[in-house]
Amino acid sequence: MKNLLLYILLSVVMPQSEADLSGLTLATSNGTYYQIKYSSREDVNLYVANIETDAIQAVRQGKADVYVSDQVMLPVEDQKRLGMKMAFIGEECFDVAFALRKGNTELMEQLNAFLDTAPLNDIIAHWIDGAPYVEEPPYEIDPNAEPLHCVSGANIAPIAYLCDEGEWKGIDPDILRRFAHSLGRPFKMDFQDLGAAIIGLSTGQADIVNANLIITEERAKSVDFSKPYYKCHPGYFVVDPSTGGGMNLLERLKMNLVTENRWRLITDGLLVTLIITICSILLGSLLGVGVCACRRSKRKWMRKSADIYSDFINGIPTLVLLLIMFYVVFASSGLNAVIVAIITFSLCFASSSGGIFDNAISSVPVGQTEAGLSLGFTPYKTFTGIVFPQAVCKGINLYIGECIALLKNTSIVGYIAIQDLTRASDLIRSRTFDALVPLIIVTILYFVLAWLIRRLLLLIIKKEAR
Amino acid sequence: MSFISIKHLTKTFTNPDGSQLTVLKDVNCEIEKGEVISIIGPSGTGKSTLLRAMNMLEPPTSGEIWVDGENITVKGYPLDKLRCKMGMVFQSFNLFEHMTVLQNIIYAPMQLLHKPESEAKAEAIELLKKVGMAQKADVYPSSLSGGQKQRVAIARSLAMHPDVILFDEPTSALDPTMVGEVLSVMRQLAQSGLTMLIVTHEMRFARNVSTRIFFMNEGIIYEDGTPEQIYEHPIHSATKAFVNRIQQLRYDIDSDDFDFLQIHTGINRFCIKYNITEKGEPVYALVKEMLFERMRKYRPITIRLTHTEQTDVTALDVMVEHLTESPLTSADRKALQPKVKELIEEPTTRGFRIKMIL
Repeated sequence: MKNLLLYILLSVVMPQSEADLSGLTLATSNGTYYQIKYSSREDVNLYVANIETDAIQAVRQGKADVYVSDQVMLPVEDQKRLGMKMAFIGEECFDVAFALRKGNTELMEQLNAFLDTAPLNDIIAHWIDGAPYVEEPPYEIDPNAEPLHCVSGANIAPIAYLCDEGEWKGIDPDILRRFAHSLGRPFKMDFQDLGAAIIGLSTGQADIVNANLIITEERAKSVDFSKPYYKCHPGYFVVDPSTGGGMNLLERLKMNLVTENRWRLITDGLLVTLIITICSILLGSLLGVGVCACRRSKRKWMRKSADIYSDFINGIPTLVLLLIMFYVVFASSGLNAVIVAIITFSLCFASSSGGIFDNAISSVPVGQTEAGLSLGFTPYKTFTGIVFPQAVCKGINLYIGECIALLKNTSIVGYIAIQDLTRASDLIRSRTFDALVPLIIVTILYFVLAWLIRRLLLLIIKKEAR
Repeated sequence: MSFISIKHLTKTFTNPDGSQLTVLKDVNCEIEKGEVISIIGPSGTGKSTLLRAMNMLEPPTSGEIWVDGENITVKGYPLDKLRCKMGMVFQSFNLFEHMTVLQNIIYAPMQLLHKPESEAKAEAIELLKKVGMAQKADVYPSSLSGGQKQRVAIARSLAMHPDVILFDEPTSALDPTMVGEVLSVMRQLAQSGLTMLIVTHEMRFARNVSTRIFFMNEGIIYEDGTPEQIYEHPIHSATKAFVNRIQQLRYDIDSDDFDFLQIHTGINRFCIKYNITEKGEPVYALVKEMLFERMRKYRPITIRLTHTEQTDVTALDVMVEHLTESPLTSADRKALQPKVKELIEEPTTRGFRIKMIL
């Protein structure tokens, strides 16, 4: 009965024009033209997802009625696979262009000159309609030159999407790669949500931002737009009640892992997550020893500064700290994002591990120190031989817990364009529109990783403490 | 020069709020090798602080400590070398919790005296046998009783072959049932000729085992002598009161508007504390009778209730200053005598005292 009602309800939702949208919930992604357009329309509810994929999922799961985006975002094949269909095409017609940092005139002139001469229509036809691929002219590329750093605000076919072995495909990467090569520079592309990508532009961490960007006056205030390279219409998509059923689990696994070698995204992401976690644990513990020493110092100003440091770090969400480090502190240094992440997590870990060390040492009764001293041990030997081993036993569980919390915390590095394990699942998700399988896979991987780290640390620490 | 000699030692603690507390005011003493010295005295008079100052766990504020002809209070003195020769046994045992009993004992000799493991172990087993703990060599301290822990702690201290061992209230944290086993080990040590300094509240043990006794009071060594002197013929009244365990309750009344309820409560508390509740009511009735009837016109007046634990004697003293004649009339005496075991009227240096033994 409930299903039937839902069915009727869904079939009713079939708007034919923008006027019909009244009273419906529209799903769109953050930073798009549609977000701005419909946030001012009072009779329409807006569901703003972080990335396009999540906006589509919202409609499929009934959290929103209509998915609105550029028409090209959801080709007919994908519509069918996802059980969706186009309701109508909007009347507006938009110019799509690339975004550059304000005042970057040199690059702008080069890009516009390139767009004038490039076979844009043929390139676009290849990605949208499957026309034959237009071969790239044999440019001379200097591998040592500064790469052209593009940040894509979209990871969705046919605009721009990441394939196996980190290769970007789609209209935007195809054009921008040719452009980079025409300058003799290597091409580099990262994926970030559009808002973050635009910030990266102003801080110099990105040269060009692409995401099927529609030229609007609002946007033109904060970025410079290239010449338009494409014209697009808005598309309004709804759930197609007539299609049903789906793939079985095996097919889904295959689609999420095997097709386009997507498992490589997972393994690469896993490696990045591991590198960040292990380096941060090592560096953070080292700093933590310093924090602990300060906290136990006889000098008041040292204790005070350790307190201030801990309060400061604890008072800021790790994600915010990460963004500050990336977009403010190290913005102009050109430091690799992974290194920025390691520094950030080390700073956080230093605060928490320093506290754990301090508490562990304090929890060893002062009588143990007195007994050591009274037997004739020097204060140093008393600490290393008697207090420290006991402190390890008392602090080990908290410490390992903190390490595992760190591992889980690293899942936010996607915000600064690092493709870690979580981001890998996002990338796969945005290609396959399957939320379940990629998320379950990374869940299992995180779980196994946490278990392994726990075992490993117990092994190492127990051995060292002997 | 004596083996240990302490000169004008003082120790002042500064509280976190800035206030200062002087625990040791001026301690002087000489200790020879082979002496077994018990340090007794009321709580808070600096007994433990003195002991802890001797191995510099508690660095003194001023004064000097000489051990074996060397001043250990000078800055930079190698304290670890000193402490190898000066063992310490703590109230809270302080066994190393992460080591077995055997490891606890061999750790310091192996690390500090560089003894080979086999030798250290053999010796440790001998020591454990001496304190009756050999069968527990391989267990961890957490599974031992308090008495067992303390015996192991003594063995650990002995393993370094110290010249002297400082015992800081070794039985105070123990169950009464376990005090005996630790004291018997210590008695054995005392007979073997080891130099020992013992802070203790075990009065009988101190008397039987010690060669000398320090009675500490108000931050100084108040009286220093053989057990016989201290226990039988103490010079100071404070020493006498302490060794006889005399407790007292005292009220000075100088006018008629005193708080009699407070006196009543005080008497009750005193009697409960020293387990003489049956005497509470008679004492109260007697105090009331004396203050309001028999000696109504005598002010100021002092009443003092004393109880000697050792002899279980309770006495009520009523004292009036500058009085040479007894204030009691024969009628008073007649009324009082049936209520007490003994009624003594005596002049004192300051005035006149009526003592009623209950």
